[in-house]
Amino acid sequence: MTAPTESTPQAIVGRRRIVPALRGHGGASWHRWRYPLTRRTPLLIETDYNRTTLAAERRILNPRPVLWTVALLILSFAPPLFGDNSFVAASTNFAMYSAINVIWMLTIGTAGIFSLASLATVGVGAFGTAYLSVYFGFPFWAMWLVGPLFGLVFGIFIAVPAIRLEGFYYALLTVGIAELCRVYVIQSKTLGAAAYGLFGADGFVPKGMPEHEGLVIGYYAAFVLLLLALTLYRAINGQRLGRLLRAAPEKHEAFAEALGINYRLARIQVFLISSAALGGVGGFYATLLHGASPSLFTMDQLLLLLAMIVIGGIGTTEGAVLGTLIVTLFDKVFIDLGPVRLILIAGIMLITVLFLRGGIFGIPDQFAAWRAKRQSERRGLQSGKGGEIMPEDAIEIADKQSIAVRRFDARLKEELRGLISDALIEEHRTTHGKRRSDPLERVLTFFRRQAVADKYAILAVKAFAEYRIVALSGRRGVPPRVVDDQVFATPEDALHGVFVKRVQDLMES
Amino acid sequence: MDPYYLALTTVTLAAIYGLLALGISIIWSSLGMINLAQGFTFAVSGYGAWLVAQYLSNNGVAVVAGGVLTGALTGALIGGIAFIPLYDKPNFPLRSLIATLGISLFGGQCLLWIFGPRVKALPKIFGYGNIHIGPAVASYDKIGSIVCSAILLLLTLGWMKSSRRGLEIRAMMQNPEGAALVGVGLRSTAMAVMMVTGAMAGLASVLLSQTYFISPFAGVTPLVKGMVVALAGGLGSVAGALIAAVLIGFIEAITAVSLGGQYVLITQFLFIIAILLVRPRGIAGMIEHTRE
Repeated sequence: MTAPTESTPQAIVGRRRIVPALRGHGGASWHRWRYPLTRRTPLLIETDYNRTTLAAERRILNPRPVLWTVALLILSFAPPLFGDNSFVAASTNFAMYSAINVIWMLTIGTAGIFSLASLATVGVGAFGTAYLSVYFGFPFWAMWLVGPLFGLVFGIFIAVPAIRLEGFYYALLTVGIAELCRVYVIQSKTLGAAAYGLFGADGFVPKGMPEHEGLVIGYYAAFVLLLLALTLYRAINGQRLGRLLRAAPEKHEAFAEALGINYRLARIQVFLISSAALGGVGGFYATLLHGASPSLFTMDQLLLLLAMIVIGGIGTTEGAVLGTLIVTLFDKVFIDLGPVRLILIAGIMLITVLFLRGGIFGIPDQFAAWRAKRQSERRGLQSGKGGEIMPEDAIEIADKQSIAVRRFDARLKEELRGLISDALIEEHRTTHGKRRSDPLERVLTFFRRQAVADKYAILAVKAFAEYRIVALSGRRGVPPRVVDDQVFATPEDALHGVFVKRVQDLMES
Repeated sequence: MDPYYLALTTVTLAAIYGLLALGISIIWSSLGMINLAQGFTFAVSGYGAWLVAQYLSNNGVAVVAGGVLTGALTGALIGGIAFIPLYDKPNFPLRSLIATLGISLFGGQCLLWIFGPRVKALPKIFGYGNIHIGPAVASYDKIGSIVCSAILLLLTLGWMKSSRRGLEIRAMMQNPEGAALVGVGLRSTAMAVMMVTGAMAGLASVLLSQTYFISPFAGVTPLVKGMVVALAGGLGSVAGALIAAVLIGFIEAITAVSLGGQYVLITQFLFIIAILLVRPRGIAGMIEHTRE
């Protein structure tokens, strides 16, 4: 067996999807990986034989799980191994904010509630657990357990208006709620108004540990948090609740309701689940930083969070993680730039929203749509090529032979049309069973070569008395159909009738 | 509790909130865009007025004119970035909302970069002193704020009622597509709307800066308040915005007097949430279908 596709075409014309071909298949190609306890397969593998080399090959049609695995593997060892202390701290931030964004995506994407109070929910969880730890001595694991409760209670509070309000009304209200929390925290003495934050909470890093090791433990804890968030996203979005809500997108709610889907209940459920999860992240935040600061509620932090999901693309987890990566890179790693780095982030966000429909991960779709538009424009300019196939159509036809056949047929018909004349038809009528001229033989050869489907034939209704023209169906068991009500007395007349019909067809095509 | 003081504070706050809320409301109803960069316009106008006071003249009229002009220019800038390229693209409302948020992040950081984090103060354009109206005592600040914003509000409303451009704006509020069909230029009208509302925010900025300082992020609180007032009044309704401004100004004044300043936002929000639960479109809001 030779290597399947050594000569992958470099210059791509048209709408070809490039999927790298893997070598060979066999018994292994029938094996499917499955997610535990489900029948879902992570990878869709197509097996085929190369048309040119006849080598067996496999293609992975959805590379997403592979890319996710690779990315998470890199994240699992690279930052602590290769980075210095500040880089590890930035990576911890990245993992935590990715978790927040992934959970936020449940609210915005799955539930379709445009809430901007995600960071406020995290802040409520952080301040609540920090308060319990500072004033009641809760240990870190208890803070992790209590955090979701705070998130849930806050979620219930802000879910009340969500039942009635729609879209942007709710978005604006949540911005206001975040500001309300900020002002309350800044003015409250128990929540550390004087110290600009409530600090002194318990942490999960053992005391007396060297700084680097402590940071690495923090990073791995945040990484596990990210994995949990991704699992939660999959469990909600890919399972029953997510399916229900996918049937009830914006402006199609009435349809979903008619199907018996209680989409309001499903939305509120998803909203409360994600609020509780965000509260849990808040508890983690408080144990990581030993407290909470009011900056969680500021408009600027909210805008940074929004920039993360907008840059990556609203509605997908990979968009959330990639956007977080880009923004964290600018915000924490290029910290020497000062305010310029935030200006850069805002610039990227503006460019993304002005030019891209769905963030970075929406680029392939947008590009495909743009190219399809350009193609149809070009096709509109090249009309009137009589049955021939345009190059951009040609790539979608698997059997390239048929393209040549159609082109040959089109040119042959063009030539034969020039041969047809009244004299030729008269010659056909009078020369039955005799030698015929070259033009007539050419026309007849072309007619005889036609495929069986829809080919004309002669039906003897009464032998030597009544003949009619029928068209063959071309399919076994399906009888021919009568073409018209002409009746011929002799087989010769019927043959000439068929010829005239074929000439008509040729001239009309 | 002094009822005259309460009334005066209510009217002062209502005048300033009305300026901010009316801007957001008009933009939403005519352009279909939620302008969350109004806070940025507010901050820039403050700096514009400060630059005029610093380098040109300390005259009150000049300072106000500087703020209003800067506000109008910033409004035009926002319209040029967030409305003109996006308004015929798919998913316009969400993308323009995010674009205005991006502008406010971008602009706030630029202001921080250029002017530094230290706050600036405007000169007292209305002078110091009090005036007695019957039994009530009012400072020049408050009287000046009320008079200035009342003048600008009346001018704007009169302009929208009687001028050709105002007619075009009202046509665009009712049916943007129909307005375009009968020859109203969407782009030029949108820019006019953005400039007028920017000027309103600029004036509000100069007036509020008599009490507060100018800083790169000074616009956040006025933006949030203007936004919730517009929300409570009903996005797209001029009368609703004014009613809501008076109501919320009153709530703020009475809370500050009876409970204390730190509870202002809480009572305001409870009030607004209560309004929105009863009337999800606000006090006098348009029904969504009308705009589409």
